[in-house]
Amino acid sequence: MNRALVAGRALRGTATGVAFTLIVAPILIVVVAAFSPNDYFEFPPPSLSARWFVEFFRLENMRSAFALSVELALLAATVSTVLGTLGALFLARRRGTVAVLLQSLFLAPLVFPTIILGVALLLMYKTIGMPVFPGLLLAHCVVGMPYGFRTVLGSAQALDPALEEAGHSLGAGPLRTLLLLTLPLIWPGVLSGWLFAFIVSFGELNTALFLTGPGLTTLPIEIFSYLQFQGSQLVIAAASTLQIALIVILVAAIERVVGIGRIIRTR
Amino acid sequence: MKTAWAAVLLAPPLAMTLLFFVAPVLYLFWVSLHEPSQSELYGAALTLQNYATVLGDSFYLGIIRRTLGVAAVILALSLLIGYPVAYFVALQPPRRRMLVLLMLIFPLMVSNVVRAYGWVALLGRRGVVNTGLHSVGIIDAPLDLLYNTPAVVTGLMTILLPYMVISIANALAALDRRYEEAAQALGAGPVRTFLHVTLPLSTPGVASGTLLVLLLTLSAYVTITLLGGPRSKLLVSMIYDGVTAFQWPHAAALAFILLALALALTALILALLRPGRVQGSGR
Repeated sequence: MNRALVAGRALRGTATGVAFTLIVAPILIVVVAAFSPNDYFEFPPPSLSARWFVEFFRLENMRSAFALSVELALLAATVSTVLGTLGALFLARRRGTVAVLLQSLFLAPLVFPTIILGVALLLMYKTIGMPVFPGLLLAHCVVGMPYGFRTVLGSAQALDPALEEAGHSLGAGPLRTLLLLTLPLIWPGVLSGWLFAFIVSFGELNTALFLTGPGLTTLPIEIFSYLQFQGSQLVIAAASTLQIALIVILVAAIERVVGIGRIIRTR
Repeated sequence: MKTAWAAVLLAPPLAMTLLFFVAPVLYLFWVSLHEPSQSELYGAALTLQNYATVLGDSFYLGIIRRTLGVAAVILALSLLIGYPVAYFVALQPPRRRMLVLLMLIFPLMVSNVVRAYGWVALLGRRGVVNTGLHSVGIIDAPLDLLYNTPAVVTGLMTILLPYMVISIANALAALDRRYEEAAQALGAGPVRTFLHVTLPLSTPGVASGTLLVLLLTLSAYVTITLLGGPRSKLLVSMIYDGVTAFQWPHAAALAFILLALALALTALILALLRPGRVQGSGR
């Protein structure tokens, strides 16, 4: 009897140790490699140096890929959060088949194989002659929209409908009620949706793979093509570490503004 | 007034979803039903030949088999490792559980290309594992740990493992402990309680974790390419190769074969696990 309990506890502890090692080790190695002083990565590193970060910002293609990724993520997160918020406000109080269908449609990009979306968009863009940047931005918006939608839907459904009715009965129109009453109350949901959409856009691979063009590449795709064609240079480790650092800052921002509990509940 | 306002709310997100998600996917399907063309994106005549070519070619069937095999092994491993981890997480007191879950969510936010690069740095010929084993004197020459199917399985499984853990942990944490207590009060030991009470009640979490891992495995082109190299290609690599060769109808047909595979496996998993049996699963 007791043996089973002890075995169970040992199994859980061992599995957790193994899992966390396997999940975290590859990320830690990248950060350590970024501070290598030599041309090749040695573990443990003989000393620490920032030369690969200097090299990263010296390389024109890396700099512009980083800038494009930040620009895309800022724009895509904003557009997709606005759209997601509108959809969530529409659906928050609706029931019935149409509402369920619409909700599944808005959440579908989360589970749809994005590689297929990438091919489909590329083909459509070729047919209608879409320029690279807006095409890429729209793809990032489609991929990011479910995040804003989901977090805002949670906040909006938790809202007491009596508050909005009070707004209406005091003579406020729908726009005034939205701006002065609903929006301030669902703000944490909107903000965490925005941060999620930003993070997702910043790391997006499957659609960007097809939609980036010559001279217009995002950081993840630039890292990918470096790894594929130029071998593993340590400037890639620096680029990756900058990616990780930005996410750490954003997660800290989420914790500051809305509390970490919210991220976990919305997952 | 009220309907006009509702239209203002619904129109922008609906237009975005229809124009840039539904329409391109339908168009891709339309293209998959056409002949290839030298000068245009696709030819004029309707045909099912693109599907027939893939499904009648032993090369592609081999790729599909390998894709299914890799997905099955990744699912099995992530369930075997993920379930006990999820149990561990669910048993933690709320504040600590939050912290552990955050440690699982953070890696998911890091781009997959960075996490795959981490595995390259670990498993490459000059990687940490090879240099470590060499300096301890276990090996003389570096082992070929990269660019094979086990490398793809290892990398992809660990990249997606947090999804499995988080899904199951949420289900286990929401589980009413009184069921387990009742089972034990009625004389069931810990093993029986787990197999007949805890495990069945956690199936909604197992189902959603399994589906997430499966769907992300099927389209993980970058991870598969970086860790598998040219010799361990999966179905998704064939789609990419088709696009770079400008074989549009062929690539489109491959994309829909992948989608059909994803839907069939989803239906199979739902039929096996029947998560709907569990009441109050909260989703």
